[in-house]
Amino acid sequence: MPDSILVKGLTRYYNGFLALDNLSLRVKWNEDVALLGPNGAGKTTTLKILCGLMRPSKGAAYLAGINVMEERERAISQVGAILETPEFYPFLTPNETLRYLGRLRGMSGRELDNRIGEVLKLVRLGEWAKIKIEKFSRGMKQRLALAQAMLHDPPILILDEPSLGLDPRGMMEMREILIEARKKKTVFFASHLLTEVEQICKKVAIIDRGKLRAYDDIARLKKKYRSFERAYLKLTEASI
Amino acid sequence: MSEFEKLKVVTKYELLKQIRRKRFYGALALTVLAMLLTIGLYQGLDLPRRMGLPDTLISQYRVEIFAIFTTSMGALAILGAVFFSGDAIASEFEHKTGYTLFLNPVKRTTIVVGKYLACFIATAAILIIAYLISAGALLAFYGTVPVGGMLGSLAIALVLACFVISMAFAFSSVLKGGMGATIATLLTYMVIFSVISMSLSYAGYNPWFMPDRAGDAMTATYGVSFESVFGGMMGGGHAITGMARASQDPALSFFVLLVYAIILFGLSIWLANRKEMI
Repeated sequence: MPDSILVKGLTRYYNGFLALDNLSLRVKWNEDVALLGPNGAGKTTTLKILCGLMRPSKGAAYLAGINVMEERERAISQVGAILETPEFYPFLTPNETLRYLGRLRGMSGRELDNRIGEVLKLVRLGEWAKIKIEKFSRGMKQRLALAQAMLHDPPILILDEPSLGLDPRGMMEMREILIEARKKKTVFFASHLLTEVEQICKKVAIIDRGKLRAYDDIARLKKKYRSFERAYLKLTEASI
Repeated sequence: MSEFEKLKVVTKYELLKQIRRKRFYGALALTVLAMLLTIGLYQGLDLPRRMGLPDTLISQYRVEIFAIFTTSMGALAILGAVFFSGDAIASEFEHKTGYTLFLNPVKRTTIVVGKYLACFIATAAILIIAYLISAGALLAFYGTVPVGGMLGSLAIALVLACFVISMAFAFSSVLKGGMGATIATLLTYMVIFSVISMSLSYAGYNPWFMPDRAGDAMTATYGVSFESVFGGMMGGGHAITGMARASQDPALSFFVLLVYAIILFGLSIWLANRKEMI
């Protein structure tokens, strides 16, 4: 069985600036892995390449064994994702937005209606289903982003700073949803919040300046460096 | 799910977006107002006589002359098309909605084609309503409608809209902002093309291959020559001799616009496919 996520020698330049430097990573099925690193480390670039929104200068990315560069549509159908700070069409409602995205993902009829109800309830936006998104706060949009990522019940979740913009209650709820999701799905998410990473994941990939500095269990890193925080600081000290 | 099914979904929701944005209603209101003004002023000021058109011409072609005036929809086709399509692609990047839309298992080409169809349907609806108002006025005032001429004029207006949407899409695929793409499209059409066409006309060449001049052919489908009507407005036609001679062949103009529309649309698909969400 192919790996859930496989990244092989990813390199990406932005106008001469090296954002990713020969990054390789393997995530097994139903693993929960955090991509951790300081700002500008290459986390979002990695996720964008994985989701087919950017092309690497070198290397390849695979989702469920499918090459993202060669078969983007087939590969991306395995994924639910939140990238950057997602925006939605302000003049549509969550219902309409999710119906649009669900239809594009091959869902329809009662199955889609029921699923929309489920995911909106899950992210506590049930009562806002028919309100135009232009009235939504940053946190509400983030909840909607999670709802659209979970809509088609994908086996892989790729999330970039999923709790960005959420209040403490929202962060806690997001955490609970992800902890529940990881029982059945591969959760691969980028963050620079150590506590969040520690609470959601067992494994972490620490990257800095586009290079993979460590890829290990959090428990093992804690043991080796005496604390998770020390591990992070030690492994990313090149940025200081 | 086939790519065609996805195309239908994209088109449907892009159309819903156009309607929800209220732009559609704004464009519709302006169109109705412009039509009523044109018809009212034409009748109220008795324009053909004031322009100095010969009585024989007026009596022979009164229906066609009215139709030419009220279906000179070049500006409507251009403005409508730009209005709906200027930010179609650029806004997905500018407002970051692409982070939601492009994360679906749909080819970028399908998304662009769906957006194009939605923009075209919205523009076509505006144009058709304008022509229906004109046809209604013709029936009310003259009891007849030059159906063939009007359909020909509408066909050219629609293909002109296709061309403008294609150009707006090409700019929208290259530029970072929707506003930039809208302005670039308008300036290219109304300034750059006009300068080239005028210069060629005055130099004695027939600029039949220029999109703006081909678009003018929507007034040449009624069997009345452009110069016999509009020449009188400009001092017997002497001031615009070069332009007047360039009264366009409708069939040729239709294909000129169609070729430009296809080439630019192909270019916009290619550009949109290469654009990254950075």
